[in-house]
Amino acid sequence: MMTLLSFERELATLYKELEEKTGLEKKELKNLIEERLKVIYKSLTPYNIVEVARHLDRPQTLDYIKELLTNFVEIKGDRISGEDRSIIAGIGKFNGLSLTVIGSNKGHTIIERLKSNSGMIGPSGFRKIARAVDIASNTFKTPILTFIDTPGARVSPETEKEGSVAALSEPIKAFLKAKVPVLSVVIGEGGSLGALSLLVSDRILMLSYSYLSVISPEVGASVLFKDRSMKKDIAKALKITSEELLNFNVINGIIEEPFTGAHRNPELTIQTVKEALQKEFELLLKEPSENLLKRRAEKFEKFKI
Amino acid sequence: MDIFKRKNRIYVPVITEEIAKETLIRCSSCGRLINYKDLKNNLNVCPYCGHHFRMSIQERINLLTDTDTFKAINSDIEPLDVLNFYDGAYYKNQLAKVRQETGFNSALITGKAKIDGVDVAIGAFSFEFIGGSLGFTEGEKIVKLFTYAKKNQLPVVVKFSSGGERIQEGVFSMLQIVRIIQAVDVFKEDGGLFISILTNPVYGGASAIGMLGQFVFAEKDAMIGLTSPRITQLAFGMNFSRELQSAEKLLENGFLDGVFERKDLKSTISKVLKIYTNRSLI
Ligand SMILES: [Zn+2]
Repeated sequence: MMTLLSFERELATLYKELEEKTGLEKKELKNLIEERLKVIYKSLTPYNIVEVARHLDRPQTLDYIKELLTNFVEIKGDRISGEDRSIIAGIGKFNGLSLTVIGSNKGHTIIERLKSNSGMIGPSGFRKIARAVDIASNTFKTPILTFIDTPGARVSPETEKEGSVAALSEPIKAFLKAKVPVLSVVIGEGGSLGALSLLVSDRILMLSYSYLSVISPEVGASVLFKDRSMKKDIAKALKITSEELLNFNVINGIIEEPFTGAHRNPELTIQTVKEALQKEFELLLKEPSENLLKRRAEKFEKFKI
Repeated sequence: MDIFKRKNRIYVPVITEEIAKETLIRCSSCGRLINYKDLKNNLNVCPYCGHHFRMSIQERINLLTDTDTFKAINSDIEPLDVLNFYDGAYYKNQLAKVRQETGFNSALITGKAKIDGVDVAIGAFSFEFIGGSLGFTEGEKIVKLFTYAKKNQLPVVVKFSSGGERIQEGVFSMLQIVRIIQAVDVFKEDGGLFISILTNPVYGGASAIGMLGQFVFAEKDAMIGLTSPRITQLAFGMNFSRELQSAEKLLENGFLDGVFERKDLKSTISKVLKIYTNRSLI
């Protein structure tokens, strides 16, 4: 059975019943659950959206790559300190278009999550991003697609030794200099400086139940209230949902997930994302590349007083 | 009279001459009592153990620049509360209060000054202003400082002390980092010199920006890292040795050009500035 989120728990008994039922009864119960879910998902709070964004069954960077790209060849390692599996990068074909993909990947299972540090990016990850951007911009001259799904930057004795503080600006600098179109999609968690390392792009899209925030609501609550349980209030105060960020013109569009969350229908979600990507690249590729750099710099310049 | 009630009280408060004579301050590092005047005369450094207490922004400007040469620029840029942020209290009100208390509009003071006779564009973060955190105003002022320096062909010196992004400005505080990196990059590509001085503490996006200097110096006792030990504990449930984020450790790991005592900061910067401004261009 699928992991139910805090606001879905009222459906636990129905889901349990569903397992016992067969035939027409099962179908009816399924419809009932579906209807109830639709009502619940109509009025999600910002913190509920964070919960959906963190669901481990949501499609992740590696799932999108597997479904959407052919001939994918991975770019691994930062050539300095190691290979950070929280970042997946590589080149491949998307619908006949050569593309460089860079994304943070959390992993579905415990083993996967251990290997990828649950998508928390360390210094070798930051430097790998910069290396992939450089290859895309200067060698393959392909558009770049980034998938954002990270709780944030990783902090550990190793990351401090390898210099997160110095590595963090590398991807940002690289994206600001990339002479190719860059498109970012927030597919789940857009956590703080980790997300920022994949966000410097020409267009930013968010899945409807993803979030983008300067700090996790839990840590924000601890810092501001000294009380972790205020996370819901902070999630609201921070304005982190796709709708709010679209209103602020921080992002360019929202990709609507299946009504009851991407985790309930990964195939449909990936298909919807695919269609959105096709449209976006059609637009982006029309833009003369000499305009791109200037436009990208101007875009971030507009976030000022 | 021991005016440090909390153990980690960081400021050496400004008090009247009268009280000063009899005031003793307990060093938060070695625990010994220091005569207030001795501490002030020693640049807020403990005469017994060498612990560096924080300095006020005015003391900092006086320390780094030649007497009466500092002229503030862009100090009238006012802060912005785009999110209408509310966390039990309104950010708007918090801003109004801290502006009144400090007399500043933001956590960053920028201006032009002379350092041992060399003209510089200078910025200094004030930790008193919401933890020296980085928001709209600070982003705008750094970008303007580097643009000003590029236009006037001045080296830039920035003294950092910042807790990181201004949470109350949400994702916009994060986006300032992109703007700043862009401005610093344009400045450096034009041949500009950026000397960065890291003082206790420098965290979050501020650390990433602080590391962009061609020369990055830290003051003794500075803590530098992506997240503070407290946030690291909250976010990762992990306690790691504070040692790892000490300036000395960063120097050893190859991320700094030097760690200096407060009294030696200006002369070090001055050496770099003089070589830079007197260089014969090839
Ligand atoms: Zn002492």
